[in-house]
Amino acid sequence: MLRGKGLNLTKTRTRLIVLIALILVILAFAPYFLSLYYLSILRNLLMWLALSISWHFFSGSTKYISLGSAAFFGIGIYFTAKYLQLSNAGDFPVLPLPVIVLLAGLVNFALALVIGLVTLRLRGIYFAILTFSVSMVISNVIQWWEITITGTRGTYFPLFDFQTAYYAIFACTIVTLLLTTLLRRSKFGLALKMIGESEEAAVHVGVNASFIKTLGFAISAMLIGFMGGCFTTRLSGYVNSDIAFNSLYNFMPAVMTLLGGAGTVYGPIIGSTTMSLLSEYLRVALSHYFLIILGVILIAIVIFMPDGIMGMVEKIKTTKLFRSKSAKAPEKPP
Amino acid sequence: MIGIIINGAILGAIFSLIAVGLNLQYGVTRILNIAHGEFLMLGSYITYIFFTLYGVNPLVSLVISGPIVFILGILIQIVVFRKLVHVSRSAEELESRSLLACFGLTFIIQNVVAEIFRGTPIISAPYLNVSTDILGEPVPLNMIVVAVMSVIISLVMYLVLRFTSIGLAMRATVEEPAGAQLVGINIFKIHAVSFGIGALLAALAGSMLVMIYSNITPYIGPQYTFIALAVIILGGMGSFIGSLVGGFLIGYVYYASLTIDALITLAVVYSFLIILLIIRPKGLFGR
Repeated sequence: MLRGKGLNLTKTRTRLIVLIALILVILAFAPYFLSLYYLSILRNLLMWLALSISWHFFSGSTKYISLGSAAFFGIGIYFTAKYLQLSNAGDFPVLPLPVIVLLAGLVNFALALVIGLVTLRLRGIYFAILTFSVSMVISNVIQWWEITITGTRGTYFPLFDFQTAYYAIFACTIVTLLLTTLLRRSKFGLALKMIGESEEAAVHVGVNASFIKTLGFAISAMLIGFMGGCFTTRLSGYVNSDIAFNSLYNFMPAVMTLLGGAGTVYGPIIGSTTMSLLSEYLRVALSHYFLIILGVILIAIVIFMPDGIMGMVEKIKTTKLFRSKSAKAPEKPP
Repeated sequence: MIGIIINGAILGAIFSLIAVGLNLQYGVTRILNIAHGEFLMLGSYITYIFFTLYGVNPLVSLVISGPIVFILGILIQIVVFRKLVHVSRSAEELESRSLLACFGLTFIIQNVVAEIFRGTPIISAPYLNVSTDILGEPVPLNMIVVAVMSVIISLVMYLVLRFTSIGLAMRATVEEPAGAQLVGINIFKIHAVSFGIGALLAALAGSMLVMIYSNITPYIGPQYTFIALAVIILGGMGSFIGSLVGGFLIGYVYYASLTIDALITLAVVYSFLIILLIIRPKGLFGR
């Protein structure tokens, strides 16, 4: 029995690895066979996927709902755009894009450490509002700075071609996936999860909760910043605070993850994929009615599958299991 | 200086009214209604419709927009949120799910209104737009009327909560939901009514705002939602007095920063909120 189970596990595992490899290969060669339109959909999908996973890494496991992702995303964009602009003008040394993106992530990491130290004492809705406020303040201050101090709205920087943008975002998604998977399986990831289950209990067994929380928040912010940096390549040479700090980036990672099912490994992946494909399809099919329908779908999902898509899948699985067991039982001869 | 005192108080009165509604909804139903500003916007649009089509005085249209949005709020609570309360196992779960549902609501309400009013992207129903003097400071008359009405409505709300049986039931539900059920309060009814009243208060505020401002669009809701959120967090969730005091505080901060530099207003308001939350995590009057 045990052996059979083990065998089954390795079998599913190899299948999973093959499947992942296949998907990766398809994604890596996508620019060679997809049209620009489908490629742009794929690129946006990958971006939302990485953002949802980064968000879920901290907020999903600790249950500290952060609504401030736009702050880190926007700073990632702004840092990269500004650096590109200044190095193009000759003020800063010219660096390869990955290094700039890395720097953008590190800036976010440092900033999130400070924000986390201050805000992570608060729980629940208070933490959510605080992170949201932080993103509003940063976005507003940048806008004010640009208009009143420098006198120019936004930042211009050299343009990137479509392929570079796609591969930058693709690479960033892979890095995010790898890093979060590794961290989630480490002691650190377990500690984060434990804080989500019961913070008091975690503290009692010797988890340094405030340190772990702050570090987790900073890592999540760093990953979001990476994606912001890579996303800069996709913008057409211009960015301002309204584009970079759009409130959509505050809410969408949370919405997508909850849609897929928070607290599960595949939740953010499935949620972001479903949401971005669905909204793209509705946008094309229904033009301006699409947000109305999207709203209806969101509400329907919350009501009819409150644990997200993954929760629904689990439910179907368990009911099937029970049904097949109970169906088999009476067949046994007495 | 007098200008700041008067104008800050006017803004404060309006903000308080908006926040009282949101606070009531959160306090009783534990649902943080991110779509609160959308009910406000609905109020503005209903007033606008009656003002332009039938020439109804915007102040009179309060008795039209209020009940319409009240019924809408009750319907939404019954159809959407009652179900959510049933399927959620903990307060945290309910909070995150209602966030998702409120998003959906925001999308629906905003875009339905935008779709209906595609021809007129910006609306206003100017009323009493004449200047008067208060202590030598010129202030538009409609602003004063709106501020006074807001204070009156908030006070009426306070009296309802304090002295009527339904108000008592609401306060009991806030304090002890299980206990309230034990003594025979139908908390599902109370939830629906509170949600409806919250929406009604937002609609009343919206109806009055459309007389003052000429920048009402279908997408104006979120900015008021966020101000209301700032107010109730500042004052303390579930505290009525907190909403009033918080509303005036935010009103003053908002107006003071507006006079210094209009572009930095949001940053100032939210920095103020962040600092206060760090000093007093449960808000000024929170328990």
